[in-house]
Amino acid sequence: MAEKIRVAPFWGCMIPVKYPQMELSVRKTMAPLGVELVDLDGFSCCPDPIYFKARDKVQWLTIAARNLCIAEQAGLDVITMCSGCTSTLQEARFLLAEDENLKALVNQKLKKIGKEYKGTARVKHIVVMMRDDLGIERVKSSVVRPLTGVKVGIHYGCHLLKPSQIMHIDDADYPSLLETLVRAIGATPLTHTEKLLCCGKGCMDEDMPLQMTHEIFHSMESVGADVMGLICPTCFNSFDMGQILIARKMNREFNMPVIYFCQLLGLAQGFDPEEVGLHLHRIKIDQVMETIAASETVEIVVR
Amino acid sequence: MTEKKVGFEFRERLNKIVGGNHHNYCYQCGSCVAICPAARFSDDFNPRDILLKTLLGKPEELISADSIIWKCTNCYSCYERCPQDVRPVEVIIALKNICAEDGVLPPNVDKFSDTIAKSGRSVVMTSTVNRRRAELGLPELKDPPLNELEILLE
Repeated sequence: MAEKIRVAPFWGCMIPVKYPQMELSVRKTMAPLGVELVDLDGFSCCPDPIYFKARDKVQWLTIAARNLCIAEQAGLDVITMCSGCTSTLQEARFLLAEDENLKALVNQKLKKIGKEYKGTARVKHIVVMMRDDLGIERVKSSVVRPLTGVKVGIHYGCHLLKPSQIMHIDDADYPSLLETLVRAIGATPLTHTEKLLCCGKGCMDEDMPLQMTHEIFHSMESVGADVMGLICPTCFNSFDMGQILIARKMNREFNMPVIYFCQLLGLAQGFDPEEVGLHLHRIKIDQVMETIAASETVEIVVR
Repeated sequence: MTEKKVGFEFRERLNKIVGGNHHNYCYQCGSCVAICPAARFSDDFNPRDILLKTLLGKPEELISADSIIWKCTNCYSCYERCPQDVRPVEVIIALKNICAEDGVLPPNVDKFSDTIAKSGRSVVMTSTVNRRRAELGLPELKDPPLNELEILLE
């Protein structure tokens, strides 16, 4: 058995409150990979990199630094499940390393609650941990039911990759991280024109966000994707609920299931759809399960 | 002829906000516009134009609750592409911080931020959340230490 890894999960807000099925899929799929999740007390919102940061960047940094202090004190690295949390915590680390005065200002505030930010805890999105700390081979070896024949339209979202100067995860223009992981679980990753387009959630406009999600679905549909695979709950909200809105406002139905990567991994590890919370999604995945079942039958016949 | 003057006072004010000082590096090349999804999907959003108004120190059109800056998608593509390390999205966020200082935040931004300040979460907890979590076999969610947040946000 490969070495066990202990990390502190930073669940954020969207996942535990609104989409607990994603948390469920993470908790289920990490055990077979030899990852021990050590839940720490006291984390707050990261805080969010769009609105809270728009009001006061120093307050935003201070709350982010407070969260990082908790992991530092426990001597653990943080894994994030949401691109927004990844962005906030990673950018906070970057800014506090870049600017000594800013770090002193933040620490002056943290002192009032008996904390000091040092910068010793690292932050990684769970998919990055899988690639860099576990290795693709370990992910592959946890698969008991490869998702053969399932065509996954990949949506990276923005904050996992950009800015690469801070995130240090992949080439922001030609990323390969999610393609590699999707292949590791036996499915087929599809590239498409709008693979890197923003989901639009952070834009305060009536129409633009929906136009953007529409473009992404259109692009995925035209290459024949069965499902959309993604790694961020905010993007998920744009696409799962977004499809209902697109149908209502733009009179266009895509009916494409939107699946968080750890849920796909869970299916490949042999969990039932309900065990990774897929029954809670608005767009149902029956067709995908038929594809998986069909490929299993074929394999048995071949053997 | 109208007098052309750069509003350095405003620029100095912006320089004091985290990330605001990088606006000085902009040489108006337009790389940010080429990659900007908000520019692609709207007729009026243009990050280069926002930076130009900032360089001229003319904030009148930018600092308001219905300013064009709120249409930024926050996607960080301009940050990625900018050859001058302007970090345009961070300059835009610094402009939003000035909106907050001047009391002209869009009401939903203020409300959302208040929710985080008061509850420690961006998504409001309801009585059903922990019940739903229990049904899925997930541990109970506890409140973050709100007294600590209160002290930090004083």
